[in-house]
Amino acid sequence: MHANSSSQHASTKPPLPEQGGQIGYENTTVTKVPGWHGIIAWDALLNGMAMGLFLAAAVSELAAPAVFIGVAKVAYPVALVLLLVDLVLLVLDLGDPLRFHHMLRVFKPSSPMSLGTWCLTIFSLPLTAAAALSVLAKLGWDFERARLLAVVVGLLPGFGAAAYKGVLLSTNAQPGWKDARWLGGYLTNSALLMGCAELLVLSAVMRQTQAIAILRTAFIVLLILNMIPLGLLFANLRTIHAQLYTRGQQWRVGALIAVGALIPLGLILLNGGLLSISVAVIFLLADSWLVRSVYVKIPHTSPLEVRSGE
Amino acid sequence: MPGLGASFGRGAATNYQQDMANSDCILFMGSNMAEAQPVGFRWPMEGKLKGATLIHVDPRFTRMSAVCDLYVGIRSGSDIAFLGGLVNYVLTNDRWFHEYVLAYTNASTIIDEGFRDTEDLAGMFSGFDQQHDSYDSKKGHWGYEESRPGNAEQDGSKHTPEVESAKDPHVPQGYSRMGSSEPYTSPYEDIINAPRDPTLQHPRCVMQILRRHFARYTPEAVSQVCGCKPEEFIRVAELLCTNSGRERTTCIAYALGWTQHTTGVQIIRTAGILQLLLGNMGRPGGGIMALRGHSTIQGATDIATLYDSLPGYLPQPAVHDPEHEDLSWYIEYGRMPTGYWANFSKFIVSLLKAWYGDAATPDNDFGFSWVPRVDGDYSQLAYFDRMSKGGVKGYFLAGQNPGGGGPNAGLHRAGLRNLEWLVVLDWFETESAVFWKNDPNAPPPSEIGTEVFFIPAAAAQEKEGSLTQTQRLIQWHKKAIDPSGDCRSDAWFFYNLGKRLKQLYAGSTDPRDQGLLNLTWDYDFDEQPRLPDGTLSRIEGEPDLEKVLMEINGHRLNEIDPRTGEPHLVSGYSELKDDGTTACGCWVYSGVFPEPGRNRADERKLSDNPIQPEWGFAWPNNVRVLYNRASADPEGRPWSERKKLVWWDSEKRSWVGLDKPDFELTKPPDYQPPLGATGMDAIAGTHPFITKADGLGWLYSPGIKDGPLPTHYEPVESPFGNLLYPKHSTNPTVRLFPGPLNHIAHMPTAEYPVVATTFRLTEHYLSGPMSRFNSWLNELQPEMFAELSFELAAERGIVHGGWMTIHTPRGQIEARAMVTRRLRPFVVEGRVVHQIGLPFHWAFAGEVVGGNANDLTALVADPNVSMHESKAFTCQVQAGRLEGQALHPTAPTAHWPTLDPIPDTPASAQPEGRIGHGK
Amino acid sequence: MASREHELSALPQTSDPPRGRLSQLLARLISPYLHGEPRGPVPEVLGRLIYPFVRGEAPKPQQATGFYTDTTVCIGCKACEVACKQWNQLPSDGFNWSGNSYDNTNELSATTWRHVKFIEQFSEQTSNVLAPMGTVSDESPLNRWLMMSDHCKHCLAAPCHQACPTGAIIQNEFENVYIQADICNGCSSCIAACPFGVITRSEMGGHSHKCTLCYDRQRDGLEPACAKACPTQSIHFGPVEELREQASKRVDQLHERGVPQAYLYGDVPSETYSAMHSFYLLVDRPSVYGLPDAPFNPWLHMMGDYVRSVAGGLVAIAVLLVVVFLLKP
Ligand SMILES: Nc1nc2c(c(=O)[nH]1)N[C@H]1C(S)=C(S)[C@@H](COP(=O)(O)OP(=O)(O)OC[C@H]3O[C@@H](n4cnc5c(=O)[nH]c(N)nc54)[C@H](O)[C@@H]3O)O[C@H]1N2
Ligand SMILES: Nc1nc2c(c(=O)[nH]1)N[C@H]1C(S)=C(S)[C@@H](COP(=O)(O)OP(=O)(O)OC[C@H]3O[C@@H](n4cnc5c(=O)[nH]c(N)nc54)[C@H](O)[C@@H]3O)O[C@H]1N2
Ligand code: SF4
Ligand code: SF4
Ligand code: SF4
Ligand code: SF4
Ligand code: SF4
Ligand SMILES: [Mo]
Repeated sequence: MHANSSSQHASTKPPLPEQGGQIGYENTTVTKVPGWHGIIAWDALLNGMAMGLFLAAAVSELAAPAVFIGVAKVAYPVALVLLLVDLVLLVLDLGDPLRFHHMLRVFKPSSPMSLGTWCLTIFSLPLTAAAALSVLAKLGWDFERARLLAVVVGLLPGFGAAAYKGVLLSTNAQPGWKDARWLGGYLTNSALLMGCAELLVLSAVMRQTQAIAILRTAFIVLLILNMIPLGLLFANLRTIHAQLYTRGQQWRVGALIAVGALIPLGLILLNGGLLSISVAVIFLLADSWLVRSVYVKIPHTSPLEVRSGE
Repeated sequence: MPGLGASFGRGAATNYQQDMANSDCILFMGSNMAEAQPVGFRWPMEGKLKGATLIHVDPRFTRMSAVCDLYVGIRSGSDIAFLGGLVNYVLTNDRWFHEYVLAYTNASTIIDEGFRDTEDLAGMFSGFDQQHDSYDSKKGHWGYEESRPGNAEQDGSKHTPEVESAKDPHVPQGYSRMGSSEPYTSPYEDIINAPRDPTLQHPRCVMQILRRHFARYTPEAVSQVCGCKPEEFIRVAELLCTNSGRERTTCIAYALGWTQHTTGVQIIRTAGILQLLLGNMGRPGGGIMALRGHSTIQGATDIATLYDSLPGYLPQPAVHDPEHEDLSWYIEYGRMPTGYWANFSKFIVSLLKAWYGDAATPDNDFGFSWVPRVDGDYSQLAYFDRMSKGGVKGYFLAGQNPGGGGPNAGLHRAGLRNLEWLVVLDWFETESAVFWKNDPNAPPPSEIGTEVFFIPAAAAQEKEGSLTQTQRLIQWHKKAIDPSGDCRSDAWFFYNLGKRLKQLYAGSTDPRDQGLLNLTWDYDFDEQPRLPDGTLSRIEGEPDLEKVLMEINGHRLNEIDPRTGEPHLVSGYSELKDDGTTACGCWVYSGVFPEPGRNRADERKLSDNPIQPEWGFAWPNNVRVLYNRASADPEGRPWSERKKLVWWDSEKRSWVGLDKPDFELTKPPDYQPPLGATGMDAIAGTHPFITKADGLGWLYSPGIKDGPLPTHYEPVESPFGNLLYPKHSTNPTVRLFPGPLNHIAHMPTAEYPVVATTFRLTEHYLSGPMSRFNSWLNELQPEMFAELSFELAAERGIVHGGWMTIHTPRGQIEARAMVTRRLRPFVVEGRVVHQIGLPFHWAFAGEVVGGNANDLTALVADPNVSMHESKAFTCQVQAGRLEGQALHPTAPTAHWPTLDPIPDTPASAQPEGRIGHGK
Repeated sequence: MASREHELSALPQTSDPPRGRLSQLLARLISPYLHGEPRGPVPEVLGRLIYPFVRGEAPKPQQATGFYTDTTVCIGCKACEVACKQWNQLPSDGFNWSGNSYDNTNELSATTWRHVKFIEQFSEQTSNVLAPMGTVSDESPLNRWLMMSDHCKHCLAAPCHQACPTGAIIQNEFENVYIQADICNGCSSCIAACPFGVITRSEMGGHSHKCTLCYDRQRDGLEPACAKACPTQSIHFGPVEELREQASKRVDQLHERGVPQAYLYGDVPSETYSAMHSFYLLVDRPSVYGLPDAPFNPWLHMMGDYVRSVAGGLVAIAVLLVVVFLLKP
């Protein structure tokens, strides 16, 4: 049995005829890839969706309880489900999933992964409480104070759980990621945008017109706002993009992302009906996934000249 | 190694590897020490750190070239031209060490008038016998001028040794019979009294002959033949010259790049001449390091696995050889009247006493008639040639893989297929064990009649014994563990085989069985041996090899040691006698076991003495630098403070120093032999080469079959004629083995225009059994490849990393193409010639398999030692693969993990790779 | 030490799991498991759950050790590579001929902790005289075959160490960076963090591995297997301070002998990276050897990235709040 290393080096090059045995190491990527793609793109999406939904619901509910209490009570259980799915993905992505709890033997602020795990773990408790109490409230047992307390307690870890992911991906030695100064800014910002969008859908489903009105506006502003960190992130990664993709590819993906943002913007501007909101939000989520997927993939992609040598 | 023996007296590396740290310059040529002896290479590197200049002259730029200061590329097979050029450079520029050469070499000796040099006969020496393709050195008058009064001035007095027919036994006589039925004739007359001319002006003195002989090896000629530039050659020459002399020494290291040629012995001779002229012999940091291979290859020649020599370089007596009929003749023929070999009779009689014990008596010639006589050429090449033609019935193969690593391995395998039975003792199922079922070029197994017995062998760690490595150092190793299963040591196998044979023939009165029956064969352990951990060994019937070592060391039979109740051990070979009162299994090793319980090969004491005399035991007599008398000037003072080793202490009246003096301890430097002196008494106090009859280093050496001086000839297969001697392309005495399986591309042909050589990789060992069953090594070099230049690749459309095929008249193989600038085309005689390099580690058995370079090589042999020419032959190369040759590994990749879980450890803490871990 | 070095290494590191009483208590709880006694699924699960929280006593700090690798005397024999595999019982990585000079193992990985690199640098000119190290002939063009035995740099402030969320990576008593394989859960943060591409995750157990600097041998007073095996003393092992001295002397010597290109890589901290406990003597740019020309500790970006990340979120929350307050009835 040959136990080859799991994370295959993205840049191991085939011998190039012109160089003969004189291939060397100059043009190879030095670093090893962590093997974070696929699952991690979904994780980044779900993480944003869960935390964003919770934060959006909590902030809205605390700011305007009258308008949002109804959707919020639905939002927390939904956020919990999203979080659980995300946690499963995180565990599955480990080399030894049965050792997930080893993360909890130390608290290391120097490690975004540690910070994130602790935030997620702590956050899962008030979220579970808030979700459970919301469901109980539907069933008639109303512990409103306790529920609000859980929501308030969840704010900080929830925010932390949303904020660590980008830093985890940007503070390492991976090509591209290591230059992505705005990855965290974009992801956290995008999380709230997505949260707002999810809340909007829930409101639409529940026909909460006031909430819909407020959230439509917030959505539009946030969507436009989100273009700023995305643009900054794009600027961070210009060089690596040039190494990885042809101009055509860059244009096509850029256009796709832009369209993915413009369509929901247009839809929400034009119409507040359930259908258009749902379609808009689906587009937004798809767009968010696309952005995450592209950026998560960067270190795992071989540079252009290498691929041409294949 | 007669190349060294003929020049200096003993056929072994003259210095020790650690001494290379004392060199000021080292010329590596025909050696790739860093890759083949990486551990020893530490010492040249240490020398380099201290400021030494390392030079590598090789057709390929290797891992060693990379750490040398200078690399010069020359075409395979052109070494004599290069070295001859160096000799010429030293002579014409007057860079030789005058005092040294005059005192310590035969430069002044005058050669017989009848001798004709290659300069006179356009590439041949006098005395060539057309019928046998060999020289008759007597008829060719190669010997020294007979001493006639009134000849040239003579050094010292005149002696009259008793015997006329002195002969240099360091050219073991047995070699002489290889291939030719004629016994070798001796050119020597009266060595010690040969006339000399200390002014070196006599036209027939060695120095003048030498000058004339090498005059045509000019830098330009060197360049034309070797393919390097004249300046490049001169740079090497200058480095050697400036790093030789009183204050500085240069070492020359060689290995197979020199030996594996049909002129191999003569290449080494050229180096010997060069080192004598530069005054580097017998001195620290100087000498010639023959870098030998297989762990105990030196031991194998010392204790005679060669068919034609008895232990200690005594000649093996031959059938139909009147001179070897009885012991007195044998001694008369084999001894020398003067020098150390005057003790010849003591060595052989003691050997016979060791073998036949009490049965050996003066009345029966000490059993000399029982010693088997050689009746033909049993060297590997000739023997397998016969086998391939159906002339051999059965064969024992212990620790050798000729089916993979023999030159022209296809012919070797054809030989194995012709046997009735074959016994293979090995650790692995090698090519030579699975040739009947896995050889892709062989007929189906049903058509092969050989019955193969595979006997699993014990590994080195599973048995005790000794190794004698490249610097003559005998080192004992103890057994660490018992071998597994039915594996047994080779000693166990042959000891018990011997016992059974003795049983089988017990009671026989047939005279020819008496040798076997009288053989002493009693090496049983006194009590069951223990392993290092204190437990009793599981193995029954293992011989006690320390008893064998004691027999090798020798005993005084007439004296009982009260400590053991056994005959007294001798302390060295000086104690040996020829009256039957001493026994000694190998005189050169005598002293290795000087007293009961003191196995000097097993000593590992470090001391302040950089020579580390108490680390193992070096033959002879624990001398680490041979001929070290030459490290002092004729008066016995060190040539320089920097380079002192042994010197004459006039107060103590003795030779003293760091090393054990390789000289009679109390013989003063001014000692002059009296008239008629014999033995060591005939060696003057200024003559360091004590195993030579005259005690001198031989610039001119008539003891070699292809000439007293080295001459450049092309390899048997070469794209060129001989530029220096156009009439004689190849060595006229070369041995060929014609036959359908051994075609040779004799003449330069357009069909095979590319020069090929074979080489080793650090990652693999020989034909591969010891490495290609090991995943850790296989991952480092997993596939057969061929190294070639960009230019050749471009010419043939071969792509780096792609496949190529290599063809010779013997066979064809495929290999991955390693296109590299480490190989470059040579411009030889004004035209471009390409050379490729082939590692010879792959074949069809093992965990990884691949094309076998030895399916390409040829059976041709050097006349002196029957060495093949795997370092230079011609081939054709093409892009692409061979058809229908898909090879499959015969052994699965090593099972992993190899270890059981660690006890008392939770599953989660088991290291990776232990069974039962993790998921 | 440069001030940056302080900054880099001042980072809060592991807050270890409890030592002392609590740990003893936990250990007692799963003692059969700790002794490798199989006792059925419940103790097994409990054992695995609690195992990572059990800690022994920390060993006393020792003199910092490391490697100084003099690539100019390396003969590419790979003895170090094999010695490492043998001592650590690592499997082979498969039999793939790479065509990259004599390098067929290609890279460091979870199963290759030492890796010898080969760099052929030959010009196209056809002279057969080459002065590999430039000492004898300055006229000859640069024709070299560089060899370098690569492994973990044992960075003083190691990004892998900083990134490890389980505390599996520690700086042991010899100041070597060590992965506790029984703690690692294969999260791969260290892989992403190492600027030298040293670590990968093994497929066998899913855990990350790299050179341990032969922690086990050092504790028993032995030198690392690779250094022991190196025939030319290309790999020097010892106290880091002594190695630095030795190395700088060697550089001076090489400069005198006509190899002006010689320099040390990683012996002292740079603006962006800490010193490394295993450093190299090189004669060409780092990238030629497959090393980053200017290694960068990603942690230097962490504060800023957190600020941007938090800001991105806070701005969004603020926007949401403003809209809610403005539009709520
Ligand atoms: N790793 C490893 N070590 C070994 C062995 C092994 O198989 N593997 N084998 C052991 C044994 S048995 C032996 S005998 C030794 C042999 O050790 P070496 O003789 O050093 O090994 P080779 O690689 O066969 O040949 C040495 C060099 O000779 C060069 N050469 C070829 N033709 C010529 C020529 O015509 N002239 C000159 N000047 N050079 C030439 C080759 O390019 C090569 O670099 O190694 C021993 N050590
Ligand atoms: N083309 C080409 N051919 C060459 C050379 C070359 O340079 N070029 N070099 C030549 C040289 S120098 C040599 S020395 C020969 C070597 O040729 P061989 O002597 O045939 O060497 P190996 O192929 O290693 O085979 C040795 C066998 O001994 C087994 N063995 C090891 N230890 C023991 C033991 O203790 N007991 C027993 N019974 N078996 C053991 C090993 O498993 C292996 O199968 O090859 C020669 N062939
Ligand atoms: S294999 Fe053995 S003999 Fe050869 S270099 Fe290595 S240690 Fe020395
Ligand atoms: S080289 Fe990489 S793996 Fe080694 S200590 Fe530094 S960061 Fe960690
Ligand atoms: S993979 Fe293991 S060693 Fe690496 S950071 Fe994760 S837990 Fe730590
Ligand atoms: S120190 Fe030990 S673990 Fe590290 S490379 Fe050397 S042998 Fe391997
Ligand atoms: S053991 Fe030493 S000489 Fe050999 S490759 Fe490794 S570092 Fe280089
Ligand atoms: Mo050999």
